[in-house]
Amino acid sequence: MEAGRGWESKTLCLMLVLPFWLAGCAMGSLFQPYPSQAQSWVHPAPGRDASIVQHLERAGKGRDGVLYLQELGLLQQRLGNDAASRTVFADVINHYEHTDAQALIRVTGLASQTGALLINDNALPYRAPDYERIFTYSYQALNYWAAGDVTGTAVELRRAAQAQRMAEQRREKELAKADEDAASVLDLSQYQGYFEGLDLAAGAVKSSFQNAWTFYLSALFWEAHGEYNDALVDYKKALELHPRADWLKADVQRVSRALDGYRQRGIGTVAVLYEQGEVPARQEVSLPIPTPHGLFLVAFPSYSVTSWSAARPLTFHVGEQSAQTRVLADVGALAARNLREQAPGMLIRQVLRATGKYNLQKKANDDFGGAGAFLTQLFNLISEQADRRSWLGLPAYVQAGRISVPVGEQQVLLSSPGGDASVTVPVMERGLTLIHVTERAGRLVTRVLPVQEGPL
Amino acid sequence: MRVVMAIMLGVALLASGCASKVEYGDPQARETVTPDFGSSDLQMIATKMVDDMMVFPPVVELTRNRRPVLFVDRVKNKTSEHVDTESITDTIQSRLINSGKFRFVDMTVVDRVRQQLEYQQDSGMVDQSTAAQMGRQIGAEFMLYGNLSSIVKRDNSTKDVYYKFTLKLLNIQSGIIEWSGEKEIRKTRSRSLFGL
Repeated sequence: MEAGRGWESKTLCLMLVLPFWLAGCAMGSLFQPYPSQAQSWVHPAPGRDASIVQHLERAGKGRDGVLYLQELGLLQQRLGNDAASRTVFADVINHYEHTDAQALIRVTGLASQTGALLINDNALPYRAPDYERIFTYSYQALNYWAAGDVTGTAVELRRAAQAQRMAEQRREKELAKADEDAASVLDLSQYQGYFEGLDLAAGAVKSSFQNAWTFYLSALFWEAHGEYNDALVDYKKALELHPRADWLKADVQRVSRALDGYRQRGIGTVAVLYEQGEVPARQEVSLPIPTPHGLFLVAFPSYSVTSWSAARPLTFHVGEQSAQTRVLADVGALAARNLREQAPGMLIRQVLRATGKYNLQKKANDDFGGAGAFLTQLFNLISEQADRRSWLGLPAYVQAGRISVPVGEQQVLLSSPGGDASVTVPVMERGLTLIHVTERAGRLVTRVLPVQEGPL
Repeated sequence: MRVVMAIMLGVALLASGCASKVEYGDPQARETVTPDFGSSDLQMIATKMVDDMMVFPPVVELTRNRRPVLFVDRVKNKTSEHVDTESITDTIQSRLINSGKFRFVDMTVVDRVRQQLEYQQDSGMVDQSTAAQMGRQIGAEFMLYGNLSSIVKRDNSTKDVYYKFTLKLLNIQSGIIEWSGEKEIRKTRSRSLFGL
């Protein structure tokens, strides 16, 4: 009897320890919500940049490494360390390739799945969603652009377009299957309120990955190099996502005329890319999950639009002329749409986990009385964490605008509610001068990228 | 004692399994680590281009009694990979030179050659009887240039990459393309069902 009891106590200990072991290096987000970790690089304290970079480099070696490396790549770019950012983003892209090439069923993947079933979804290694991948390619293109490597920029823009195309191809059948699988296990209508909340946050975004900002960036680049056919395709794709944008229609018309041989002389383009605010983090909500023993309240990630900041345009003046940037991608809405797509699978895991946790608690109560039940309750309470991981260094809105101005040195005045700035830029005939504007510590940070012109 | 021995043996096996090792390999061996552009693709392209060009009748005729001077412009990378296209043209150039049928001028070193000529002419350090003279270089008669493009298709289990390399030989005087060669490569990677 004593021996049997000893074996059971070992089993219980093992059950409690096993998930931690299985979760391995993913401990970072297991018990400390990712958004609270990310505060240190989203709102950095003055003079802490070097230590944040070191922290992200260390975290980049863990199981959620790709997430931390994405943060690091963007942080390095914003700190002006383009070469370091390029190296980090190259690692991130290699990671994507590696993940895509992995076997469909993996032993280590099964171990993580088991860990996720016993603890929470944070035990699953982070897999970058398509919208984050597309941002990575776009930022990497800007790194090559800043270094004056035109071929490298073109490669990254092609990769971004390829990622969007492939995501589109596989999306429809994957989503239909995920909903079908979930419906066979759960009554999804019970979660109508939850899904409606996410749909509201996703707003007018049609898909979780299509990014008109990336299309627009590519279109500007191809147009500057006289690749009017490619530019027309990308302007049209941006227009498809914003069908009422008259300014995009004007871009399509201009490039269509250029394809017909009509090109204006003596002017060049000044374009502004504006990254506004910070993407909202996932919030934790309680959802009732049915188990054979009744309803269980579990932690689930969600988005709430009430706390989101509104989009603000940036106005830029060149001489007598002025223009505004417009929102091309609402990153919070992309993230919410992505979560909405993942939700059916997450719900299935939650049902299994809630049942498992209930059984563990009951077993501990039966075998070890109050102390066992208390320990398992404590474990269940601490481990009940929603998966709130997402790339939080991204901006809330990505905007862009362009203006045609005479050739020569031009002074550009930029003004937004976040601050004002002034830069002097060179403008070349049929060339493109790109001003990349970000917000850091409540002020505008501008950088002027090398002018693009002439054939590729 | 036996337990200690077993543990030691286990540790030794584990340590030897984890140790990295370096080996020399055959540079001509087929490389299929990933479907990305690799050494085998470079070698296949260079071999195909040189073989095609050398047996093309007008080129055979052209090189029967003389060694025309060529220069390599560049091969545009139109793929979605960071491919060093200069490396491809370098290999093609080396093989053409080694065939003994062509000579090349190298446009990538023009600035450094000019510096050296100026040094020989103007520095006062070089015996003028041995100094290379300005304006005595031979003009190229033909230009080699081309494109490397790719089409990538991928679904959940397969990645298919199609590469097309095109090289052209242009007569600088007449503007006529004297020869054009093309090499296509298709690579497919399937994800395995089970793995670590």
